[in-house]
Amino acid sequence: MGPTRARTRETHQARLHWTRSIPPMQPLRLGGYIKTAAMSAGDVGDSPLFVFDYALRLLRVLVLLALWRTILGGRDSTGPMSLAAVLSYTVVAEVFAEQLAVQTTLSLAFWEGTLVIRFLRPMGMVRQLASEMAGKWLIGLSLFSVPLLLVTPLLGVDPRPSSVVAGGLFILSLALAILVGLALDLFFGALTVALEQPMWLIEYTRTAVATLLSGSLLPLAYYPWGLGDVFSWLPFAAMAWAPLAIYTGTGQPLRLLIGQVLWVAVLWPVADWMWRSNREKLVGYGG
Amino acid sequence: MAVDSPFWRRACEKLVGEEDSGKRLLSLWRLYATMDLLFLARGPQVALTFYVSDFVVGLAAVTATFLLAERFDGIGPWTKPQVLFLLGYAVLVRGLINIFFSYNLAFISRRIGRGQLDHVLIQPQPLWMVLLTEGFAPVTGSGMFVPGLGLLVWAASQLNLEVPPTWYLLLAVDLVASIAVVLAFEYIVGSLAFWAPRAAEEINSSSWRLITQLAPFPLEGLSTWALGSLLTVVPVGLVAWYPARVLLGVGTTLWENAVLPAVAVVLVTVAFWIFSRGLRHYGRTGSTRYLDYGHRR
Repeated sequence: MGPTRARTRETHQARLHWTRSIPPMQPLRLGGYIKTAAMSAGDVGDSPLFVFDYALRLLRVLVLLALWRTILGGRDSTGPMSLAAVLSYTVVAEVFAEQLAVQTTLSLAFWEGTLVIRFLRPMGMVRQLASEMAGKWLIGLSLFSVPLLLVTPLLGVDPRPSSVVAGGLFILSLALAILVGLALDLFFGALTVALEQPMWLIEYTRTAVATLLSGSLLPLAYYPWGLGDVFSWLPFAAMAWAPLAIYTGTGQPLRLLIGQVLWVAVLWPVADWMWRSNREKLVGYGG
Repeated sequence: MAVDSPFWRRACEKLVGEEDSGKRLLSLWRLYATMDLLFLARGPQVALTFYVSDFVVGLAAVTATFLLAERFDGIGPWTKPQVLFLLGYAVLVRGLINIFFSYNLAFISRRIGRGQLDHVLIQPQPLWMVLLTEGFAPVTGSGMFVPGLGLLVWAASQLNLEVPPTWYLLLAVDLVASIAVVLAFEYIVGSLAFWAPRAAEEINSSSWRLITQLAPFPLEGLSTWALGSLLTVVPVGLVAWYPARVLLGVGTTLWENAVLPAVAVVLVTVAFWIFSRGLRHYGRTGSTRYLDYGHRR
């Protein structure tokens, strides 16, 4: 066998090996993810004291509504939003609080050292985390969000969107906000591993910063010194401010939606790269 | 009956513990302070991360209120410097809790729920002494204390407060009372973990979030029943709003100075009662969640 033929055979074998090393394309089996979501929703029985958490959330809404009425009530000019719009903003922010501040079970998996179980399943990691999160949302939406929406008129707030179009665009914007939130969650999860820091340290900091910068607590339009304009360009604003501003008819929908799409396009490759670069270190966290 | 009689000695010991409790407390505080310093001395990355994290979390907690006060030149009857004073007070209370009750002593449901109360009970010292000393973290826990104190002093200077020396005493009493209120609330809620260790393990996270998120807001606009609830059942108003009103004299009378310490005593008594009942239950059942390799069932 001549050297050329031997080289050809080696190349062929190398190609064959390379081809075999690529995992075959798996069809997306939705059933598994739906089942995962259902199992996650079933976890609610493990902690029946979630009702306490809901009571605290309701109390927060009441305090914020009272605060806005104190600040804006009786003023000639209420600034960039009407009092009614601010009140709607506050209520809807709480109704969709979980969707506007996306948090998967990634941190919990770090904490409990159970990420390895998810690696072993023949399912996508992010899709698993998203399914678990969606399962938990079902409980929150049905037991807290919908009842809150129903009692909103009793609180003197009109929860309806500013227009039918705004309502439709809100759904689109909310979907984009969830995608941005998911990417950020993955990014911060990878960052926790990369920096080898306690996961709660990163999580607390992230939650605190996100609450402030996303506009989920206060509308960015009311931030002084033009800070709201600056913050509205950040990815955190794409998580909460954008959908809520569309809902209340405060911002320009097209600009807000384009901003969200851009952040989705930028954050997902970055988060994916961060995750792939650091997941090997997960062994230190019990995975 | 002579003051140094065995009766009085026993009575005093019942009240404050053994005769050398004070020395023991100081000794333990010194020990935990040293350990805290050593933890920080592991490297600049650890130190920086803890400080920056605490600072950012503290800053974010009060920034929303500050921005609103700046935007509207005050909130309701509160002027801008008064709001700053309120925020400084709120951060200072949180900072002091971080310093004295770190390591989940303010989140007692976690310790109970995870079965970690055993770590406390096996120590050769009274439970109250452990709870008072084990969470002492004067270095790692001071990330909020310094900015809180700075904000309070700066706001006071902006307000040109002319106060008698007794005002400082009132400030100290109110700070202690506010801390007691927060801890009592945390222990009342967290004691649920004695009966439902798994379900209530993280319940103090919710109660803490509520307290810290709502404490920096003025509560004037609330209805009477809501305000009453926030001063008793969920005592958010006593953490910063009420004491700041009293200290600045915003619509308060002299007798109202005594309300916060009085309510604090009541809440601490309730917390003590519930915690004792829970502890008795724990004595019978123990924890089924503790595993020797550190994770939970």
